[in-house]
Amino acid sequence: MNLSIPVIVMAAVIGLVGIGFYCLLVTRNMIRVVVALQIIVKGAMLALLLAGRMRGQLALGQSMALTVIVADTIVAVLGLALAVQVKRRLGSLDLNDLSSLKR
Amino acid sequence: MADELILLSIGLPWLGALLVWLLGDRKAKFQHGIAVLFAVASAVTACLLLPNVGTSTVVSFPMETTFGEFNFVADGLGVFLAVIATVVGSLAVIFSVDYMKGAAQLGRYYAMVLFFIGAMVGLVLTSNILLMFVFWEITALCSYALISFYNDDPKAVSGGMKALIITQFGGLGLMLGALVLFAYTGSFDINVFLANPSVLPSNILGVMAFGFLIAAAAKSAQFPFQTWLPDAMEAPSPISALIHAATMVNAGVYLLARFFPAFEGVPGWRISVMVVGMLSALMAAVMALVATDLKRVLAYSTVSQLGYMVYAVGAGGVFASQFHLMSHSIFKALLFLAAGAVIHSVGTRDMRQMGGLGKKLPFVRIVFVIGALALAGIPIFNGFWSKELILEVGMHGNPIWLYVIMLIVAGLTALYTFRCVWLVFYGEERSELHVHPVGIFSKIALAPLAIGAVTTWLLAGPFSNLLAESLPTHSIHELSLMEMIREVIGTPATYIALAVVTLGLMTWVVREQISGVVKNLRFLETAAVQSFGFEAINRGIVAGVQKIAEGLRGSQTGLLNWNVFGIVAGLILVLAALLIGA
Repeated sequence: MNLSIPVIVMAAVIGLVGIGFYCLLVTRNMIRVVVALQIIVKGAMLALLLAGRMRGQLALGQSMALTVIVADTIVAVLGLALAVQVKRRLGSLDLNDLSSLKR
Repeated sequence: MADELILLSIGLPWLGALLVWLLGDRKAKFQHGIAVLFAVASAVTACLLLPNVGTSTVVSFPMETTFGEFNFVADGLGVFLAVIATVVGSLAVIFSVDYMKGAAQLGRYYAMVLFFIGAMVGLVLTSNILLMFVFWEITALCSYALISFYNDDPKAVSGGMKALIITQFGGLGLMLGALVLFAYTGSFDINVFLANPSVLPSNILGVMAFGFLIAAAAKSAQFPFQTWLPDAMEAPSPISALIHAATMVNAGVYLLARFFPAFEGVPGWRISVMVVGMLSALMAAVMALVATDLKRVLAYSTVSQLGYMVYAVGAGGVFASQFHLMSHSIFKALLFLAAGAVIHSVGTRDMRQMGGLGKKLPFVRIVFVIGALALAGIPIFNGFWSKELILEVGMHGNPIWLYVIMLIVAGLTALYTFRCVWLVFYGEERSELHVHPVGIFSKIALAPLAIGAVTTWLLAGPFSNLLAESLPTHSIHELSLMEMIREVIGTPATYIALAVVTLGLMTWVVREQISGVVKNLRFLETAAVQSFGFEAINRGIVAGVQKIAEGLRGSQTGLLNWNVFGIVAGLILVLAALLIGA
């Protein structure tokens, strides 16, 4: 099999997104959730760059990726700040303790 | 010049809505003033459009995208309905100055009323079916907001929600039609489609025709969607006048009339339209006969009269239906505003508690009786001429059994109208009611409507000329006033109809003598009070939806892991679908 750069990048995208989703599926710790989201977003960013390169519009892909970086930083900051507050209020980082829906 | 007038007649009410809302509720006097000013100004601009009628008068906003061009065309049908909406609407606004005096949240009230009027003008003037859908939904939204204006009253809120939900079915039908039209022709323009409806394959045209019939039935409260209109009676009376006469319910009849040339060839469509109209007219007339709430009687009579209009479109009489729409707008606005004056003065809507009010409210009695005579179809009043035209259209080349039923409904109309007038204004006083005098603004709004109810039939000539000249695809034949008079007076059908109407009247006069017969009809009364089971069907649907929603609650766990599982499963499904597709 010919290991060209797009194939390697695509494998990395699938790997990152897969790891991130797996992490989200199994964890209930808020900090880990934020980390998992970061991993997924990094994979998505790579995918954007790859798509830009393959369509010959690298600048577009890069600018999209930059936009994602900004959004993703905000997610991380807010998520971690929430985690700090949740820990102070509830004394636990378990997401299931947060849920107030009737089960 | 005409271009600006088109934009002004939509823009002025919307600008007024914005201003009234921004003004804030602490300056109630200015709010009344601004609302009246802008409503009257839009009525004037719409009337100024009348000499500029023609298909060549077009305002176009090219959208450069898939939406096509946002066109506004001032053709006869559109301008006529715009004039009705703005003139009757402005009279309702003038009436509101008295009716809503001292009410809270006037900004919300007037803003919604003006927004409503502007949206209705847009709906009838645009020739882009997508834009038409947008205006259509705006009118639905405004009607919802205004019906539930007293939002601390649970009945008003549920009435508004019912109106919104039921008219949504209509919106779906219209959107379906718009999308199908675009898919096949690549354009949203109505006039292009009407000039050549064969661009659509006949089965698609059939789907569209029946979709539009559902849309019109839901909007105009026709069978089987008629239940929302009586419940909309919780609104303030000027709003009822606005919805019943000027804006909302006319949209459905307008839709049918507008697309009639395209759909008349669809097999079964015309007979379906006639049957829908007939069923609505008949059922609503029977329900009006047993209702005890003054406004409900009027609401059922609206459904019934709209049934006549729908029937007329189905029978091929676009002019007759629009002519009746004009007459109906005038006399129904008159009746509703007069009923509003009565309700405002005595503080109840129950007719059983009224009676003998004629001596205390002489002015209201005069105008109400004029409206009632027009509704019953008594000669000289405008309702007589337009109803006779409809019955005449129905007689020629259409199923005779439908004609006979519509004839019977004319008799029922006379019967329930006189029952209503008698219970409210004549007879003995049945309870001690403290009567407030009627304000000056109410009289200003009522007087022109009363004059209109006696005279608007004189406009038949210019009106038919207007429609015939600017609607080439509708093949409307021009009818001068003399011709109409000769046609109505010279045919035996008129005398049959008059005889039936008189029979209806006599039934009320001799009600004591025939009470034995009436007793045998108790089962009919019980059924009519329960609106022939349609309320039960509505309640069943609501209960069913709630049950399903309750059952689906289990799927909402609120657990992150479950939600992620759902997302991943969905992603895998999409990927699999893509792979199979590729």
